[in-house]
Amino acid sequence: MLILAVDSATPVAGVALSDGEKIIAEYSQNFKQVHSEKFMPMIDKCLKDCGCILKDLDAIAVTSGPGSFTGIRIGMATVKGLSLGSGVPLISISTLEALAFNMVLSDYLVCPVLNARKNEVYAAAYDVSGVKPDILWGPAACPPQVMADETGKIAANHPGIVLLGDGFKPYQEIFRSSFGTRLREVPPHLMLPRAGSIATLAAMKLKQGALEDVHAIRPYYIRLSEAEYQLGKEDK
Amino acid sequence: MKEVKILGIETSCDETAAAIVQNGRHILANIVNSQIAIHQEFGGVVPEIASRKHIENISLVVDAAFKQAGLAYDEIDAVAITNAPGLVGALLVGLSFAKGFAYALDKPLIAVNHLHGHIYANFLAHDDIEFPAVCLIVSGGHTSILYMPAAGEYEVLGSTIDDAAGEAFDKVARFLGLGYPGGPAIQKAAAEGQAGKYVLPRVFLNRQDLDFSFSGLKTAAMNQWKKNDMDPAMVNDLAAEFQQTLAEILTVKTLRAAMLKDARTVLLAGGVAANDALRILMKNEGEAKGLKVYYPPLSLCTDNAAMIAGSAYFQYNKGDFASLDLNAYASLSSL
Ligand SMILES: [Zn+2]
Repeated sequence: MLILAVDSATPVAGVALSDGEKIIAEYSQNFKQVHSEKFMPMIDKCLKDCGCILKDLDAIAVTSGPGSFTGIRIGMATVKGLSLGSGVPLISISTLEALAFNMVLSDYLVCPVLNARKNEVYAAAYDVSGVKPDILWGPAACPPQVMADETGKIAANHPGIVLLGDGFKPYQEIFRSSFGTRLREVPPHLMLPRAGSIATLAAMKLKQGALEDVHAIRPYYIRLSEAEYQLGKEDK
Repeated sequence: MKEVKILGIETSCDETAAAIVQNGRHILANIVNSQIAIHQEFGGVVPEIASRKHIENISLVVDAAFKQAGLAYDEIDAVAITNAPGLVGALLVGLSFAKGFAYALDKPLIAVNHLHGHIYANFLAHDDIEFPAVCLIVSGGHTSILYMPAAGEYEVLGSTIDDAAGEAFDKVARFLGLGYPGGPAIQKAAAEGQAGKYVLPRVFLNRQDLDFSFSGLKTAAMNQWKKNDMDPAMVNDLAAEFQQTLAEILTVKTLRAAMLKDARTVLLAGGVAANDALRILMKNEGEAKGLKVYYPPLSLCTDNAAMIAGSAYFQYNKGDFASLDLNAYASLSSL
């Protein structure tokens, strides 16, 4: 089994190659988001460094969102091109689930929070005590206080709560005052989406045969576009 | 000689388009998925919605082009992609897809300037175009006069300093309650009216340079409308005068450029090149001055990918290929 996992949904760009049992390569960059320039060369480098070509792959996994609208589309459009041209099937992974998976086998309530701007976060809450994340709340786009209130109720069943992602720092005061001593702060290497985590999740999905059609695979934005909100459309 | 087949992809605004063109001339497939009906609801193109539609449609549109051409993916020789100018978020969908697709097929990637593509639409329809030529690119985003000493060589002679002509059409049409897109809406109303009943200023015609300004003309049309208490009876006459004024300004300046540069040919390009009043005036006035005047068929005036694939053929022959770090740009400081 050989899986290429790619992610450009947040300011982080990541690419990893996995054989299903080990991560063969993992490249990541959280510096001056220029996915439009750096993403495809990173994919090329990962494959070349490992002596692989696209046709060797069993699947390409991509994060479908939530995250930056443009970032999500750069990732998804790139893999659609790769998949259509090579015939390699696609696997779609939630950005939030991938983040939560960084903390797999922990008893804490794990909540990915991404900066959604406009004073909101994209967030969810997972039980990660098993081999893969089990969603308990969300995903949602909401003010950080709403997220804190909702997850606070669930967190009572856990020894503590962990927040992962770039939505933590801008709203840390809200989270600290809401969760108090139950909040466990984690080191930086767990705070960002990891292509290696995405590849491992994708390997599980591949075993279950959860492949996506190249034409049907869609971004998962959570939010409508601003213009649709103004027209009074409902969230889908 | 080897037959060169190029896949073109175009997502710079609200059309998701793919086409396959052989040797820069022969259109084997031309697929355009228009989002006009979706954006009509908002009275204009909404960039985020355009980008969302592009990502849903891009692989389908490309696949449809291959089916129409009866070709397998790896039978093309290069992938051409519009990377500027346009809506950056929209451009990035096509660009990212094109990179992935070209990479998967191990074919070269060619970066095409959207405006060069519009000019090139003329070469897809006419094989007797002679140089030097002067070209008027006129659309919702651009109004420029270019000098082309030879195929694939461009020099900007003048541009709009404010609104693009197509933008002025859109804004005035919306103001007069004629709908979106403005060009066809105004042309339709103008057909029922008469130019000259209300007089609008021929802005910038007294200046000797080759720049345009349409903001004042737009305001003048709006003021006439307000001054006459928005009398529905005057809509068609005002639309006719507006269209006639625009056509005159564009024609006079373009032909002035052609005379100045001793050109043999005038090329019209871009969405507004579909306007009948402009086509007719440019052709009559141009031919009276001994120039040959060309414009693309209606289907190739608006955004399409055949013009991108066709334009890329010149670059293919020169070995002008892009690398995987190619980016997209909203505007170009120079052509
Ligand atoms: Zn255009």
